[in-house]
Amino acid sequence: MKTEKTGFWQKLQNVDRRVLYLILVVTTSVLLSPMFANISIPDDPEPSSKALYYKLMSAPDNKTVFVQSDWTISTRGENAAHLEALLRVLMSRHIKFVIFTVADPQAPGVYRDVIRTINSERKSEGLKEYKLWEDYLDLKYFPNAEGTLNAIASDVRKAFGGVTAKDPTTGQDRNVFESPVLANVRAVSDASLYMIVTASSSIDRAVERLNEKATLALMCTGVIGPSAIPWFQAGQVKGVAVGLRGGLDVEYMMKHGLNYGSDPKTARWAGHESQVAPPVSEGKSLARANLYFLSFHGAIILLILAVVVGNIGMFVTRKKRTA
Amino acid sequence: MNLLAQAAPNYNFWAAEPGSARLWIMILVSLLVGAGFYAALFYAPSRIRKPIVWTFTFAGGLFYVLYWAWPQPVSYHPDDIPNGFVENVGFWLHDALPRVADISNILTAFLLGLGIYSLLRIHTGRIVKRQADRGFSVVFFIAMLAILVFGYWDWSLREADTKGLLQDSANWQLANFGQNLLFDGFLQQMDSAMFSMIAFFILSAAYRAFRIRSVESTVLMASALILMVSLLTLVVTNWDSGVANLAKNVFHDSKADPATFQAGYLNWMKLSSIANWLKAYMQVPALRAVDWGIGLGALAMGLRLWLGLEKGGVSV
Repeated sequence: MKTEKTGFWQKLQNVDRRVLYLILVVTTSVLLSPMFANISIPDDPEPSSKALYYKLMSAPDNKTVFVQSDWTISTRGENAAHLEALLRVLMSRHIKFVIFTVADPQAPGVYRDVIRTINSERKSEGLKEYKLWEDYLDLKYFPNAEGTLNAIASDVRKAFGGVTAKDPTTGQDRNVFESPVLANVRAVSDASLYMIVTASSSIDRAVERLNEKATLALMCTGVIGPSAIPWFQAGQVKGVAVGLRGGLDVEYMMKHGLNYGSDPKTARWAGHESQVAPPVSEGKSLARANLYFLSFHGAIILLILAVVVGNIGMFVTRKKRTA
Repeated sequence: MNLLAQAAPNYNFWAAEPGSARLWIMILVSLLVGAGFYAALFYAPSRIRKPIVWTFTFAGGLFYVLYWAWPQPVSYHPDDIPNGFVENVGFWLHDALPRVADISNILTAFLLGLGIYSLLRIHTGRIVKRQADRGFSVVFFIAMLAILVFGYWDWSLREADTKGLLQDSANWQLANFGQNLLFDGFLQQMDSAMFSMIAFFILSAAYRAFRIRSVESTVLMASALILMVSLLTLVVTNWDSGVANLAKNVFHDSKADPATFQAGYLNWMKLSSIANWLKAYMQVPALRAVDWGIGLGALAMGLRLWLGLEKGGVSV
């Protein structure tokens, strides 16, 4: 029986998928290893990320920020970097915040882990730890996004009116509006920013219900980004960080600032030169997104190679068949 | 009306102090009444059940329709006195909204209970009938029971921790370690692992299925490659500054500035510019068109559900 000789490209067409999986695991793992941890990735942030960072850094430090954290651990790669960067900025500026979710019962457990991580990081750096009740409030989970956001827009005092938190001075549960965090908030418009960190379309609900009442800004996964960018283009959302790249953008500006002085590494925003934001004054700047980004480079390059090699193989095989 | 307009911190017939015995009794009674109502609805003949379900659906929908359609009070303040019928209704709707949101939150929370009930029913049945893979059902029960017990145990300890000592893991007890191990150690890592599998499938699919077989697929692939490369900031910053240098040195473009990656008239050659153009002029409009279609469909479906026209729902 005559057997046809298989060429290099034909063999490549039939590579076992487990080999591909192994290559992916090795590439991403090696690039995540400690020997690459301190590499600072160069970046020219997206305009929407620059707008977000400017909003964060120009928010008055005597006003509370609302943080709606609608993600769970499945999107940790992107959203953990977002929330960590956001909380680092708020904590470095000593801004009080309330955090809650309208998306998933697991979300409070996840954002509490992030707060705990940053607090212990600040403790090890000799910086002030954020205290529940005094510096931030954890309002937990509201199951119905539509109804809750409607209520927040209508009357935040009633929307969160039934929520209590422990006052550490007395050890008693007290209404959250008696806390220094919310004492001066009578309407959602009293918050300087309403930040949404999400892996779902909860941004759509927020824009529909809160657009005219609050200053919205968003940090979302790459999947949600394209459908959220029009909100930014329309001015309904004041800044957007999309995906891991968005996380890196914010971390980069936390390190080098925006339109800041003559630093050659500072992010420049053409047409918005007057909008200056300095780097963060304390705590970490380059962190999770910067750490993940090299590995992300590896995965994307591998993906591009897979597409290119797969197509070359197909063309060569087809040519041989027709010859 | 006063019921709906109540301010939350006032404890009355409808609101009890957190942690009080009265609150627990109220929760128990509400649960029993809710379960009784649910059971009555479940066993009621469909000619009675359907009008009840439709009435509640219509009333719920009507509130929000009225809220959006009715003239809203301008510069509303709780101490204001409404003037005339229109403003009276506007005030009522405004005051009632947070309470309606509370009700919808509670109803949505019941869906979690419904999900748990459904899981319990399926897995109990599988074990009782000694079906294949019943071992997984046993694992399900053990896992659910463990996280339930440790979750509530941890929560009760934290509720009793008036000095906030448990914020520091050095003061943790068995319950706190158990909850941490189950939630952070197992659940979150498994969740993460499941999601990360997508990367493997994408790579495999890109290698085997993403082929240039037509003009359309060529355009799609070129766009995808540009967008993927635009995510690689190492490549983009070098390419863009290279273009700026080219504009400055070769084409003597006075507007080019390599320090800020501005490339004057050659801006269109920058990777970031091409990617932004693709996103702004190709991707976003297409997504908006899809969203528009989905929005219209959701509106039509919402109207059908609200008016009880959906077959298999409350219509016959």
